[in-house]
Amino acid sequence: MSDSVFSVLTRFVEEYRNRTSSKLKVIDAYLLYILLTGAFQFLYCLLVGTFPFNSFLSGFISSVGSFILAVCLRIQINPQNKGEFLSVSPERAFADFLFAHTVLHLVVVNFIG
Amino acid sequence: MLIFCNINILSLFTGLVSLLVFMLALGAQALTPSHHLSPSDVDRLQAILSQPFTDLKSAYFSIVGLSKLGLSVADANGACSFIKANVDSSSVESLFYAAEASQALASCEIHVSNETRDLLHAAVSEDSTVSQIHQAVSALSSFSLPLASQEVVSALKARISKEDNVLAITLALQTASRLSQQAELGEILEEIEDLAARLDDLGGVYLQFEEGLEATALFVSAAYALSDHVDVEPPLKEDQVIQLVNSIFSKKSWDSLSEIFSVASAAAAFSNNRFHKPVIVSALGPATVSHSQPLLQLQVTDVLCQPLSSADVVVESASSVASKAAILSKTPFTLRDGIFELNFMASKPASGYYQFSVAVKGDSRLVANHVELKVKVSTKVAINNMDLSVVDKDQSIGTKTTRVEYPSKAKASFVADSHQNFAMTFQLVDETTGVELTPHQTFVRLHNQKTGQEVVFVAEPDSKNLYKFELDTAERKTEFDSMSGTYALYLMVGDATLENPVLWNVADLVLKFLEEEAPSTIQSKNLYVPKPEIQHEILFSGVLEINPPLPLFSVQWFKLGANISNFSLSPSSLLFHIGHAAMLGLMYVYWTHLDMFQTLKYLAIIGSLTFLAGNRMLAQKAVKSPLSAHHYAPKVLG
Repeated sequence: MSDSVFSVLTRFVEEYRNRTSSKLKVIDAYLLYILLTGAFQFLYCLLVGTFPFNSFLSGFISSVGSFILAVCLRIQINPQNKGEFLSVSPERAFADFLFAHTVLHLVVVNFIG
Repeated sequence: MLIFCNINILSLFTGLVSLLVFMLALGAQALTPSHHLSPSDVDRLQAILSQPFTDLKSAYFSIVGLSKLGLSVADANGACSFIKANVDSSSVESLFYAAEASQALASCEIHVSNETRDLLHAAVSEDSTVSQIHQAVSALSSFSLPLASQEVVSALKARISKEDNVLAITLALQTASRLSQQAELGEILEEIEDLAARLDDLGGVYLQFEEGLEATALFVSAAYALSDHVDVEPPLKEDQVIQLVNSIFSKKSWDSLSEIFSVASAAAAFSNNRFHKPVIVSALGPATVSHSQPLLQLQVTDVLCQPLSSADVVVESASSVASKAAILSKTPFTLRDGIFELNFMASKPASGYYQFSVAVKGDSRLVANHVELKVKVSTKVAINNMDLSVVDKDQSIGTKTTRVEYPSKAKASFVADSHQNFAMTFQLVDETTGVELTPHQTFVRLHNQKTGQEVVFVAEPDSKNLYKFELDTAERKTEFDSMSGTYALYLMVGDATLENPVLWNVADLVLKFLEEEAPSTIQSKNLYVPKPEIQHEILFSGVLEINPPLPLFSVQWFKLGANISNFSLSPSSLLFHIGHAAMLGLMYVYWTHLDMFQTLKYLAIIGSLTFLAGNRMLAQKAVKSPLSAHHYAPKVLG
């Protein structure tokens, strides 16, 4: 059974390397970065404690929010999904991404204290 | 593991059941009135009802209200003339007020014409409101005119089903109490129970209608009026009666004459009906007895503060709170001048608190006639065998004990240095009986008159109730800040059950500490200095340091060949990037300096610039992009 899992994984990684455009790979790298940052913040909170709690929350929510927005951007600019996003050009998606981020950062900075 | 779960559930269940049983047992303890009228409240009621009348309605309230309290108007003749002058024979309501008021006066006859009588009879029909029927029937009854009770009953029944509110049904009850006993009043009587079910129970203490005090009070007087009339006990439990008493008599300043009238009617109903008579038992002054005041005095009255002279007041049991030993059982009080008295000191109780269970008997109507009372027995304390001595630590020199008699002071002062202990022993006894006492507060206070220092110690009794206080000079030097000098020694004795708290300057004590340890001046310890402000450390540096993913991220992006080479230097693109960077910078400045409103203002300016520039830039990019044809191809319709 582990054999088939391993072979599925290698197949997946290979397909990813070959088929995904570099634009999407850039966003994927960014997603991984945000994920790790969020994980590190959580780990820090577990180890050191929750004071000040509002700062932890705002930082963590910032990671989560950025992750979600980046995922949305990725979905919207993926050419394979073009059928579902006919009215949204990649530039429009990026502009939305920037605007949403502005709002997110406003809230995060307000809450971080 | 299943068995473990089962045992847990079983124990939880039994716990809940026992809690329920316990609560029921507590609830079975009878309720006693927590709110009632005091004699001054009754006087105030009377005073307001005795004020001069402004119109016929206020005359009705005053005259009838006073008669319910068992009092009469000051000027009966004047009142009668006032009624006769102000009655309006064409209004049923006016006739009602005149009829009731004139009947309450000793001799006041109002002439009733045939038209008036017909008017009143005509008002008794299904087309009139309950209020009108009530007024007509009451007027007919008070004028001693004949009335057809059965017609009234059917009219009332018809109206009750149409007007289903509290006030209407209360008036119906009141009307029914004026009808002949031969009429079928059974259905109307049942309304009492239905109405009682509508009362709101507030915290188990109050029972009242949401319509308010007046509605509740009028209900009480109507319910008892009808119950007395048909000689059927109203379906109110003892606790409910007491809760009604609490609700009606908790308000001591009333808003209107009609409210005062309703309270007076309710008070009269509670004092004089055939079935329930709430009893108010309270101690005269504080419930304290002592040798100088050996009598426990109780006031046992009805709700109108009239003493129940025919009642037997008995102490069912009296036991000490501390030792639970019973002192009295089934001992009667004696009545003297309307106050019930008992000489408790005759039983020679020790000082302390006692729980009394008092029962009022003699009338089967009495409600809340079992009362729990806490009585305090006070005494005076005497200090015996006050012995002071200075003992050498190594006990090589014999102790010299000085006896001091209260309230004098020891003639010579005592000297103790760091090799010696100062000791004090004494006994506290009851002045009269000689029994040893252990009051709550027995303190030894040492006061340095020069520096103002004060140190207080607690003196503890040993197993034989002998108080000992020992001061080890060397051990206690920190309490005194090692300040040598003359300290005045006081003994402080106090307790809730002591009539004579003691502050006695027993002696002067010279304490000698080692000189090196003494501070040059005594700093008064100021505990109330503002503490230094807690600065919040900005953990910003942490963000830059603890960012492990960042290098990984940079490497990945570099590998993927981030598109740095394709940056166009068009003005809109530059403006966009500068604007975007400015927005991020604004975020930082917001964190450190600004508030939300200022930030939003700047953000609006920078944001709109960035948006316009970005829009231009992205549009240009879209046009240049090889895929633009796909993106901006017009939609094909159809």
